[in-house]
Amino acid sequence: MQDNSFILNFNIIKKIVLNISLVFIVVGIFDFLIGNTLRFFYFKESSGLHYRTTYAIDSTQADVLIFGASTANHHYVPQVFENSLNMTYYNTGRDGQGILYQLAVLKSILKRYKPSVIILDHTARFNNSEKDFERLSALLPYYKDHKEIRAIIEKKSSFEQIKLLSNIYPYNSNMLTIALGNLEFNKKRKPDIKGYVELNGIWEGALDSINNKGDINNDIIKIRALEEFIELSKNSGANLFIIKSPVFKISPNNIDSLLTTISLKHKIPFYNFKQDSIFLNNPFLFKDLVHLNKEGATVISNIICDSIKQHL
Amino acid sequence: MVFTSFNFLIFFPIVIVLYYLIPSRIRWCFLLLTSIFFYANVLPLYVILLLFVSLITYLFGIIIEREKSDSKKEKFLIIGIILVFLPLFIFKYYDFLNEMIFNFMDYFSIRFPLPKLNLLLPVGISFYTFMAIGYLFDIYNEEIKAEKNIGLITLFLSFFPLVLSGPIERAPSMLPQFKSELTFNYEKAVQGFKFIIWGYFMKLVVADRIGIYTDVVLSNMEYHSGKTLLFTVLIYPLQLYADLGGYSLIAIGVAGVLGIKVRRNFNRPFFATTLSEFWRRWHMSLISWILDYVYTPLSFAFRRYKMKGVLLTVILTLFIMGMWHGATLTYLMWALFQGVVLSFEAITKNKKFAFEKKYNLSKKWWYIAFGISITYILFAFSFLTGGNRHTFSEGIMAFEKIINFSGSIFIDSPSNLIFIILGAFILLLKDFKEEFFSSRLLFFNNKLKIIRILSYSFIIILILLIGVFDAGQFIYFKF
Repeated sequence: MQDNSFILNFNIIKKIVLNISLVFIVVGIFDFLIGNTLRFFYFKESSGLHYRTTYAIDSTQADVLIFGASTANHHYVPQVFENSLNMTYYNTGRDGQGILYQLAVLKSILKRYKPSVIILDHTARFNNSEKDFERLSALLPYYKDHKEIRAIIEKKSSFEQIKLLSNIYPYNSNMLTIALGNLEFNKKRKPDIKGYVELNGIWEGALDSINNKGDINNDIIKIRALEEFIELSKNSGANLFIIKSPVFKISPNNIDSLLTTISLKHKIPFYNFKQDSIFLNNPFLFKDLVHLNKEGATVISNIICDSIKQHL
Repeated sequence: MVFTSFNFLIFFPIVIVLYYLIPSRIRWCFLLLTSIFFYANVLPLYVILLLFVSLITYLFGIIIEREKSDSKKEKFLIIGIILVFLPLFIFKYYDFLNEMIFNFMDYFSIRFPLPKLNLLLPVGISFYTFMAIGYLFDIYNEEIKAEKNIGLITLFLSFFPLVLSGPIERAPSMLPQFKSELTFNYEKAVQGFKFIIWGYFMKLVVADRIGIYTDVVLSNMEYHSGKTLLFTVLIYPLQLYADLGGYSLIAIGVAGVLGIKVRRNFNRPFFATTLSEFWRRWHMSLISWILDYVYTPLSFAFRRYKMKGVLLTVILTLFIMGMWHGATLTYLMWALFQGVVLSFEAITKNKKFAFEKKYNLSKKWWYIAFGISITYILFAFSFLTGGNRHTFSEGIMAFEKIINFSGSIFIDSPSNLIFIILGAFILLLKDFKEEFFSSRLLFFNNKLKIIRILSYSFIIILILLIGVFDAGQFIYFKF
């Protein structure tokens, strides 16, 4: 007797494949429509985090550029730099982002023009954390038009190119932020001055301490990224300065040893304010344990300006 | 490799194609190899443990079955259970017990410290250990015959959809399926895909989204206001449900696509009107396992002690349930809290029933809503007594803050909050519809193909739009 099970199975499989294909087609159509709508409005934003990144990557022509994470974003007061150095200023700092993000932004900027001064506020941490790579999703909207940063974005995961076949994926979880960025009132909600976002209030807690004994499990990708950042900055002819911001924590000095070594190797001025006595015992200069408030930011901006002036 | 990783989205279609291309009689072999590969992907060394437990389970299954004498049978069962339990004990409970004993002895100034192992718990070990113990019990109780094929035992314990986080399956339902001709079943496959899509929605849109918020609050409870803590306590059960429930649903769906039926793990738990009903709807595979292999044998063993025996059985059962969730005193506190409420419900059951009958309450919507709300609140607040996120004293501190209702609510990212509300609303709406209007407003099961396809597509688009794929959407909690 002839075995019909294969034919039967084949017909059923054909049916299921057809249904799955239909779902894929419908999802594909919606993905295209929604994704491109989000893209259109993303690049039309006129305020907020996305706008600041887009402005840094595509538009800024400032002489002084600040790079780094939240400490960069909140610690460098534009008026102080502009008045003291007599140069234009833009802050590219973004909360939670590491050296890979900063390198990507620098690469895009250097494609357009050469800044005079680059200040990199570095956390002095190179620890192996997957989250730092995952946070590169902030750069996904720029993947399509910025070839120079693709290799960095692809470090996020092995499948990033496949994921980016979806038009929605680069804007995942951003639809409300995109909508807000297109509204006028958003400029008042979270205002920034040339990328800098000031923090108000004082730290009311106790002096904290870091028990970490130093950098362990350093991620070679992050070390290389920092070295590439330094090389690119030097080759562009910009004056590069590396800063370690103050914290309201007692912390062993050896934590920053790798950053010191790299700075020395590349002969880059490195200013470490982490345990600076002006800040360490002064809660009135801090918003929280790791962020200076507006007053603290003004103090450190003046100190940094005075220091880097000697090199210009 | 976890279900929510992109690797799995590539791995699974390859598995489906190869699985249905090879002859059905050897598909179990392919499943076994796939399962070992899947588990080895977590950490290859862990496979040795899994194989050790499989070997012990296989050998003791045969030994228990062959033994004629009841007392010897029981001895072999105990030895088998001890050996199967040994890796779990070493990896999960040794350090906890060591510390407990040390602290106790220290109280009497006796100090014989044993070294701390600090071992990383192998993923899924609690699940496959319980499945192995269940198998040995089933043979001891002559519910099934001992399996003579060690490959099938290994597959039962390592079956990749279930090995990482259940549901905790039973040998009598799984082994016959593995032995049968595993042919393609359209209904099972379609149902499987539906479960997978909904499971991903629960996990990525609801659980992981809520997780962004609760992680920030629960790891810094001392810095947060009473209102923030209240909000966190109230959404945390939803996160747990969507997390384990979603993951279980993906597992059930994956198994279904491969033609294997797996038991349900959750049955709309937040529509339970009492805590005892809640526990019949929550993590059902674990609860039924504990009822069958712990509660029932213990009640039988302690039956002559009457009320004291019942109490002892309940305490021991809850102790095991608490310890299964985690080797900490806080989990025991949590289990104790559940025990107190469950005992109260058991004692007042008859009076409550009479009261409901007298005033004809059981059908009144507001009475049902009241029961549902109280049960949810009890379950939510039970996590303040313990769990894996904080100590008991931190829980008390949080409770005091909640009572004072102090401060303003922490909202770092309004969009995250809106997505939490949207995801939770869709999840609860679906559960509500299935609980009270199961035959109305069908989307996934609509007669019209276009509605079904649009429903799947809507969920997939929603996952793409607001699902959490990585840590990119962190909340920066500035103390």
